Amino acid sequence: MAVVAAALVWGASTSAASRPPKFVYQRLQLPNGLTAVLHQDRSTPIVNVQLWYHVGSKDERPGRTGFAHLFEHLMFKGSRNVEPEQHTSIVASVGGQANAYTNEDTTVFWQTVPSQFLPLVLWMEADRMATLRIDEDTFVREREVVKEERRMRVENQPYGRLNEIIYEQAFTQHPYRHPVIGSMDDLNAATIDDVRDFYATYYVPSNVTVVLSGDFDMDQAVGLVNQYLGRVPKAGQPVPRDIPREPPQTQERRAVVEDAVPLPAVVVAHHITYDGHPDAYPLHIAAKVLSDGQSSRIYRTLVYESGLALTAFGQANLIEHPNLFYAVAIVNPGQTPAAVEKALIAELDRMKADGVTPRELQRSKNQFARDYILGRETVQQKATHLAHAEVLHADITTADGEFDIFQNITQADVQRVAKTYFRPETRVVIHVMPKGTGAQGAAEARR
Amino acid sequence: MRTFVVAALSLTVLTSVAVGQAAQSWPREFPPRPLQPRPVTFPEFEVRKMANGLTVVLVSQNEQPAISVRMIVRAGAAQDPKGKMGLAMLTATLLDQGAGARTAQQLADEVDFIGGLLGTGAGTDLSFVNTVVMRDDYATGLALMADVVRRPTFLSEEIERQRQQALSGLKVAAEDPDSVAGLVIDRLIFGFHPYGLPGAGTAESLQSLTRDDFVEFHRRHFVPNNALVAVVGDVTHADAMAGIERYFGDWKPGEVPAFNPIAPPEPTRRVIVIDRPDAVQTEIRLGQLAIPRRHADFDALNQAVKILGGEGANRLQQVLRSQRQLTYGASADLDSYKWSGAIVADTDTQTATTAEALRLAVDEFARLQRERVGESELEAAQDYTVGHFPLTIETPDQIATQVLNQLFYELPVDDLPKYRERILGVTPDDVQRVARAFVRPDRLSVVLVGNASQFVDSLKGIGFAEYERIPIDRVDLLSADLKKP
Repeated sequence: MAVVAAALVWGASTSAASRPPKFVYQRLQLPNGLTAVLHQDRSTPIVNVQLWYHVGSKDERPGRTGFAHLFEHLMFKGSRNVEPEQHTSIVASVGGQANAYTNEDTTVFWQTVPSQFLPLVLWMEADRMATLRIDEDTFVREREVVKEERRMRVENQPYGRLNEIIYEQAFTQHPYRHPVIGSMDDLNAATIDDVRDFYATYYVPSNVTVVLSGDFDMDQAVGLVNQYLGRVPKAGQPVPRDIPREPPQTQERRAVVEDAVPLPAVVVAHHITYDGHPDAYPLHIAAKVLSDGQSSRIYRTLVYESGLALTAFGQANLIEHPNLFYAVAIVNPGQTPAAVEKALIAELDRMKADGVTPRELQRSKNQFARDYILGRETVQQKATHLAHAEVLHADITTADGEFDIFQNITQADVQRVAKTYFRPETRVVIHVMPKGTGAQGAAEARR
Repeated sequence: MRTFVVAALSLTVLTSVAVGQAAQSWPREFPPRPLQPRPVTFPEFEVRKMANGLTVVLVSQNEQPAISVRMIVRAGAAQDPKGKMGLAMLTATLLDQGAGARTAQQLADEVDFIGGLLGTGAGTDLSFVNTVVMRDDYATGLALMADVVRRPTFLSEEIERQRQQALSGLKVAAEDPDSVAGLVIDRLIFGFHPYGLPGAGTAESLQSLTRDDFVEFHRRHFVPNNALVAVVGDVTHADAMAGIERYFGDWKPGEVPAFNPIAPPEPTRRVIVIDRPDAVQTEIRLGQLAIPRRHADFDALNQAVKILGGEGANRLQQVLRSQRQLTYGASADLDSYKWSGAIVADTDTQTATTAEALRLAVDEFARLQRERVGESELEAAQDYTVGHFPLTIETPDQIATQVLNQLFYELPVDDLPKYRERILGVTPDDVQRVARAFVRPDRLSVVLVGNASQFVDSLKGIGFAEYERIPIDRVDLLSADLKKP
């Protein structure tokens, strides 16, 4: 019975091979500026609710890196009707899950609960959006937790600093230069006034998109969204968007960095465009051909055939502002970073010179369709896709539309973007060497 | 549902300032009542057994046009022969590196080309091969999978390639404090029982593996009467079964080797400090021997450990993070395997607070064993477990996993729909009884991986005067004192 109901709600034929069903949803704009997207899926009696605050580490001021993420933690510290730390335990007490994450562009709060608790979740989210409790003591204590999080994720892990190293070298002006978790110095410098300013500036309804995905009655859910989130007062001022731009890179950058790594790592990165730009889609395909699966070019050449690398992967980091494509290889014992660098660059050059084969293109499209389908199984995944399209593309139709864009990409498109973006002057090459071996790495890097 | 929300909230006078835009006019109120709940039932599934002994689980759900096929073989790292640690792991890795008439690259290319996924691996008690394909590629996926499961070629050059990768992997893991702490705590808890030995092998054991070892391990364990397979997703039971019959129906059964490991040692208090001088944080593990998955007290002890460090309660997190800000996270798990099990608590803290965090964690083991848990605390753990149930049956893969788990541990599948009653049937008396029977705070094994010279002097003050200190590059899991000579 549940299966039949789901098929009707999706309203889609399943006869076309491997074409996922389209989203059916309602989109609302509340008088206070909040955007709501409601997607009904009655196959399991649960509901996922996500609030996307359009603020991330790229909105941070210099000297205050890590603030957006620190603030995410403070959102669990109580509001008028919810005691500190109770948000998560109340959700857990009904069997639900709640958490949050912060990235460069957004701060996302989510919960999945048995569907009868939808009113509770909307009520709690409205409560903290409108009346967060902020005091000095809580703030100082939570900052210590964030510092432990930084130690755990970054400082105490082999290759934990790799991302920081890449972005420090590749960006000079744009806040993407700074890690989301921030620096210890900046975390220490943050004050309670910063907290209050940040809340008043960014935690306002016009900066929020809420997505509901799951088992609910549409009219009832629209009523609940209006009842609870609708009563949060409208902000008095627009959300600032004055983020410094990164000047174009005009010559190759090279660096040798020492870090606590067991084996050297080589990074070859290029500046690329932003998520949603027409070039972004062929760049995704290029990245897949280079690095998705054991038949990808980088895996085959560096890991399988030559044994140069223990592991090698690449990624087009397409986010709200122009970012990076980067390939990383961990150098196997007995091999040199110089040889690994040469092999990585050779793969990028080959894509510029010869593009991709028809089979590689088809394979990438099939892999894309797979990721698309397998990435839309749970209500949380569905809500995430809708929110991503609404917030980062400012166009919710891309949640479905991207499938066809990808399937229509040609070989010429992929070669064109390879030529556009994989140029020597936009390249950043980094050798990350185990402590005490940097000089050797530097000599090799010069060769 | 019990008085969950009202008990958790209080409308006390605010002690801190609400800075929100709506601070003045926002109402003080109780949370809204839940809507009418919809009934939760365990979705339909079917279990069949083929003539050759292969157990087949079928779950049909057609929301997304994909099919997943998951096979489990009842042999994992625990079945590694003496001195051959890493054999199960490397055998599993090699399954898709050449099988039937296809080379490793041909297999990878075919899987990637159809937009499929193929994964192989080994755990403690089992090996697995998982395939995901789009609906129209079901037969192609099964053909590839049958080769991988039944006809791996174990070519010498692929063995060497994967051996080198595994050796490099060991080198990286040896410097990862989380990984080292996990290996050492298992070794302390399980001793020289197979669960105490490194499933990824050692440099020496990996070097010693020959092609004959792989062929023999595969021949002995990869037989249909030692395997389970689940087909889930956009396929009818009849079509799913027809495919399995076609590709696995002529798989010949074999005699499954007996498994008679030595017993794990009695719990003993032992503290190992792994010195990593450049560490900024100490990885902390505390643990002790517990019970296997198929044990009459599993549900009760599992609720007890959830109170100690699981979702819905988690005393460790409350004390170490919420009250003292010593860590980003603290938890405890009941890791129950086929033949034995352990309670392991896991946290990390900056070097200077190592002793404090350890003391607090040990105190929570002691408190669990000493004090009867309150009704409300047990209810919170139970409410989480029971309420969470619909979240665990959302995707066909999740449903199949639950069925496979029951079958793997030889538990009745009829118990799945009775889950709620079983969990709610655990009483504070049960928790107290199992905590007294199984929790041993005076005999905990402890592993601390961090900058030893900065914290060892403080261990005496918290009652841990005796400890063994080992530099991280001299850890030897196979020697009695855990140290390379």
